[in-house]
Amino acid sequence: MTADVAPAIPTTRTPAPARRPLLNTRRLTDVLSHAYIWLCLIVFVLPFLALLGYSFTGPGGTRPAQNFAYVVSSFGDNLLWSLKISALTLVINVAVSLPAAYAIVRQSFPGKRLLFSVLTLPLYVPGAVIGISLVLTYNFTYHLTTSMWGLVLAMSLGTFPLMLTPLVVALKDLPIVFEEAAECLGATRWQTYRRIVLPLIGPGLSAGLLLCFIIVFNEYLVTLFVHPPGLTTAPLRVFNQIRTAGLSPTTAALAVTMQLISFAAVLLFFRLFGTRHLKGTYLL
Amino acid sequence: MSTVRLASITKNYGATQAVHEIDLDVADGEFVTLLGPSGCGKTTTLRMIAGLVEPTGGRVFFDDQDVTFLPPRARNIGFVFQTPALFPHLSVADNVGFGLSVKRAKKPAIAARVEEMLALVGLTGYGARLPAQMSGGQQQRVALARVLATDPRVLLFDEPLSALDRNLRDTLKYSILDLQRRTAKTAIYVTHDQSEAFAISDRIVVMNAGQVEQIGTQMEIYLNPRTEFVAEFIGANNGLAGTVTGIEGVGEAARTIVASGELVLRCRSVALSPFGVGDSVIAYLRPEDVVVLQDGEAAEFENLVEGTIERVIFEGPTAQIRVDVGGRQLRADVSGSRRLSFPEGRGRVRLGFNDLTLIQAEPTNPAEPAGPADPAEPTGATGA
Repeated sequence: MTADVAPAIPTTRTPAPARRPLLNTRRLTDVLSHAYIWLCLIVFVLPFLALLGYSFTGPGGTRPAQNFAYVVSSFGDNLLWSLKISALTLVINVAVSLPAAYAIVRQSFPGKRLLFSVLTLPLYVPGAVIGISLVLTYNFTYHLTTSMWGLVLAMSLGTFPLMLTPLVVALKDLPIVFEEAAECLGATRWQTYRRIVLPLIGPGLSAGLLLCFIIVFNEYLVTLFVHPPGLTTAPLRVFNQIRTAGLSPTTAALAVTMQLISFAAVLLFFRLFGTRHLKGTYLL
Repeated sequence: MSTVRLASITKNYGATQAVHEIDLDVADGEFVTLLGPSGCGKTTTLRMIAGLVEPTGGRVFFDDQDVTFLPPRARNIGFVFQTPALFPHLSVADNVGFGLSVKRAKKPAIAARVEEMLALVGLTGYGARLPAQMSGGQQQRVALARVLATDPRVLLFDEPLSALDRNLRDTLKYSILDLQRRTAKTAIYVTHDQSEAFAISDRIVVMNAGQVEQIGTQMEIYLNPRTEFVAEFIGANNGLAGTVTGIEGVGEAARTIVASGELVLRCRSVALSPFGVGDSVIAYLRPEDVVVLQDGEAAEFENLVEGTIERVIFEGPTAQIRVDVGGRQLRADVSGSRRLSFPEGRGRVRLGFNDLTLIQAEPTNPAEPAGPADPAEPTGATGA
């Protein structure tokens, strides 16, 4: 950025023809960077377009709409499960991470940094490892039969660091003077937390919610290990469908639907949280 | 509203002593300033009064109530921070009303109080704005309104003007004083800025290295500094280290004779500083008390020394003349039209002066100090 801007000052001062080659370099950089952006777009978007196209084809002359009608009638349950699991996981993640982040940033206790490292460990553990260890734990240690709550806890275990980390960052950026001011004005700890801290770390909270939602909603591997019989989430169903029926247009339609729901959730999220909480905070 | 008493309050951070056994009595409605260089413990002291820092030892009393271990919210204080610290997500009105709303006051009551407070700080009609839409000075005034809204027992200020530019500081410090007088609240104000402290305080507490050096009115600490630190920190001063060689006269005419290098100084003897022959002392001489005499000018002074002009620094209302007297630099501040009559050059002049303040030299650093206490210090630092 700065390297681009710096030569611009001499060129405006001295419109000498000797400066021309510099301008050409800049134009070349422009063209190259645009080309790069388009390349990225094509590489990333093309698979989705292919999927979308395939979902509208019908083997044996079925109409495209039938694929999606089938999705709605047959996969409705799976989508609902996915949404339910995601929502419960988010609630648990927030409930666990908010106090944890506050303690990590505002309190001092021995081994604080070690604790934070340990808490973020699940991020680096492969899904299959989490899955196996949870199956072992549920079945042999706790003697739990798998249930929906088992699945929710599994999701929470794998994703709460994604909630914790943005919250810790947001809290670290929040000057402590706001809390001190509130306390001096007579607010209790809870009032300070609810009316001052929580709104001001909104951006961190919304980032955490978004990350967790995307991961949990699309999680397949851990679900495969710990899902209870009769509970099949949408990603799991897609995989099963491919395994049994092959890559049919209806499978593609389901994949497209999931993609759209994820996408809509992200958009809705930015509408609801992202902008509202970013507005008027000390960051802007 | 309430008196404040500190009884040997102490704060240690590990092995470092931030505040050491400070005693202070603040009367009801009094405006007391804690003045000192950065790191002297003044802010820590204030935060202990607020309850934001728990003291290691000692007690804090509001009236007769021991508040040492009460949390800030239970003390009913108004704390104005270095930054306005307005809650950025709340409107100005919600900020001002925050203290009342956490006490579950009724909405109409809060609204009325907010209006009253905004009028008090001259910001009527700004209630709907967000803090980010206001200037730094306006924000600090909102912060004032916010603490006054809860009708606190004590107002505490932690360098509230240091983040503002100079002109704004000058007007706002008088607004603070005016508000304090009108509300008749006890106020404790922390600053490192002497002119601020001199402008608004009833009494000044000069602090250094976690301890109180001197407590007094502006005149007391300026004219009768008790310690080396106060003499050198407050305003500009010429310090001449020497030894007492004799006492002359009695009563009003009593003079202590001090030998400082080649100079023999006759200093007025203040009753509270009885020195004996052989004592190590520092004689302090304010630059504005030195009269610079050019050739042949007649004058009657108790002390008259001769020297060479080293530098003349024109500072507007005054000129600073630095004169080399027997290898030591003395600073004289000249005002009026005379300030224009000293061209830069190495002319010979005589310096006449009467009033020297004697202070017992601290045994730890006997070789200190000669020449102006702080050559970099601009004059007018103690002005206003």
